[in-house]
Amino acid sequence: MPTETFTNEVIDISSLPKYEEIALQHPHSDYWKIICINLSIFLGLIGIGAAMLLFFINEVGTHAFLITAIYLALAAILFLLFRASFKKRGYSIRTHDVIYKSGIIAESTTIVPLNRIQHIELNEGILSRVFHLGSLQIFTAGGQTGHIHISGIPIETAKNIRDLLLKKLDLTENQTIDQAAS
Amino acid sequence: MNKDFSKPQRQSAAGIIVMATHTFLKIVKASFFIFVLAFIKMPLHQIFYVLAGVALLLVISFFFAYLWYLKFTFFLDKEKQEFVVNKGIFNRDQVIIQLDKIQQVNINQSILQKIIGVYGLKIDTAGAHGEEVSIRAIDETSAYNLKSHLLHKKVAVENQPEAETATQITEETPFLKISSWTLFKVGLTSNYGQSLALLAAFFYTVIYEGRQLLDSLKIDKNAIESTVTGMLTIVTAFILIGVLLMVLLVINMVRTFYKYFELQISQHKDTLLLSSGLIAKKNTLVNPAKVQITKYSQNYFQKKLNMLNVSLKQAHFGESKKGHEMQGNTMEIPGCNPAERDELLRMILDKLPKSNKTFIPDWRFLNLPIFFKLVLPVAIFIIVAINVPEVKPFISAAAIYLITGIVMIYISYKKHRISVSEEFIVKKSGIWDISHEIITPAKIQVITTFQYPWHKGVDVGHLCLHTAAGQIRFKYGNYTEIKQLVNYWLYQVEHRNENWM
Repeated sequence: MPTETFTNEVIDISSLPKYEEIALQHPHSDYWKIICINLSIFLGLIGIGAAMLLFFINEVGTHAFLITAIYLALAAILFLLFRASFKKRGYSIRTHDVIYKSGIIAESTTIVPLNRIQHIELNEGILSRVFHLGSLQIFTAGGQTGHIHISGIPIETAKNIRDLLLKKLDLTENQTIDQAAS
Repeated sequence: MNKDFSKPQRQSAAGIIVMATHTFLKIVKASFFIFVLAFIKMPLHQIFYVLAGVALLLVISFFFAYLWYLKFTFFLDKEKQEFVVNKGIFNRDQVIIQLDKIQQVNINQSILQKIIGVYGLKIDTAGAHGEEVSIRAIDETSAYNLKSHLLHKKVAVENQPEAETATQITEETPFLKISSWTLFKVGLTSNYGQSLALLAAFFYTVIYEGRQLLDSLKIDKNAIESTVTGMLTIVTAFILIGVLLMVLLVINMVRTFYKYFELQISQHKDTLLLSSGLIAKKNTLVNPAKVQITKYSQNYFQKKLNMLNVSLKQAHFGESKKGHEMQGNTMEIPGCNPAERDELLRMILDKLPKSNKTFIPDWRFLNLPIFFKLVLPVAIFIIVAINVPEVKPFISAAAIYLITGIVMIYISYKKHRISVSEEFIVKKSGIWDISHEIITPAKIQVITTFQYPWHKGVDVGHLCLHTAAGQIRFKYGNYTEIKQLVNYWLYQVEHRNENWM
């Protein structure tokens, strides 16, 4: 590396871009519908099971009121939790990294630098296809915990993000190769 | 079939059979007990229904396999240097793998594949899943063709020696040698946990097998059990515990000697060569650049004896697939003295990390462990003790437990530190074995920060740095400081674009 072009200035840490102040993109509102449909199917199945128990086993039948109450409470709690989690989710793509925020109780923010991405997966479920949504998964070498899964992105945007990230990946790769060569 | 895989293409049609069999076997495995039950319980003349069911399953498997075959296409994008796989029967999934991220390509053949005359091809990257892409049926020439295409860019990398190449290594003077005397001390002071687990597993199998044997020989179990309990007086119990401790020490010693006998480290160009072993000598080449986490630990005894254990953690690929692979990627060097440790650190990290700025956790660190590990169990114990007269005499044990617990949690709080300098991040932790984990910011893969809503007011939060060899966590820190650190590390990782391996 030529010494004359090499500079090493002191960095002012407080002037670095702040990840916590980025305005985040939220999942598409249609995604809430998908969550609702999924939850309804889940609750429906449990409901059918409970109803079967109530009708066919007499001893359970005496507790019908209690079981219905628990079931309704469960349904309400689930919807509230998913709503809270849906509201909290957000993502953002910066020039050098991807930020994803989520969490029902604890708010967690995960940041993946673009030059650490191993590969990208774009998934479309049956329901997502109806609503033209997709989910992006970004994998790193950081293992099971070090990967992010962003759901409910409009499919066109998702594809654009994928292409953008892949293009960036190529760019950083080439840079490192150039650096190694020089 | 075109040779360069540039157009989307399907696998061999024989893949349908492979896939169908695979699905069918999976279903059979999952419902195996139902089948067994059906065979036992059902009257003979109804066996026909079972067979019909099996036939139906087979047809369904083939149907799905055919759909899967239709939807599964792959191709090589030459311009972007990517391997793209489209799959999914109902869902539409696309997997994109960059060629230079591919760790290895395996070509193998199961019995069925052998009969049909096709090969299976699996592609591993360092990503979260052990194996990202698995092509189940491809003919031999295409398989090797594809493999060479996929690994085309990797030729230079593959020539590097990775591990276990005993030949062509010239004898050089090792800079670190662990003597038998040191090993003896190591055996006395460390790795009790693993030896204990080994011993427990051994006893468990002995007792289990013994019971099986007694059962099969129809010997009166009660007679034996009563003689055993009869022998258990206080004196014999103490002797027994003493003997067990001795056995534990001996096992520990044997393990240490077997694994680390004549451990020595020497430097060859850019790599470190570790060799050790009593019966089977193991040589391992480590590229310092590929070491993700450098860790050294020391307990009270070892501090008095002036020695430490150093371990070098490398990226563990495919950990989720095979748990045992992970251990092979951690190199343990027990019994270094501080000077040797410094030498090793300098070898791997170029320079010694100086603790620059140390961050300490908030006292709220103590809350959760004290509540869940001490208050809650003690409360339950006391409630039980009050109601059950047999347990009552042991109520003083709760006090001992409480005091040791508080001391241990307090020590773990006092030792939980992260110190950050421009080039290094050092995480200190532990209760008995105090460990220091050292990484450079370039090894960070992903950063996660999180905060509980009730900590917002007091500005307390948590940090987790994911590396390819595990996570480094700092809990209950000042959240403003953590955010600042994260921004700084992101800057370092993204700005310098250093390679992490």
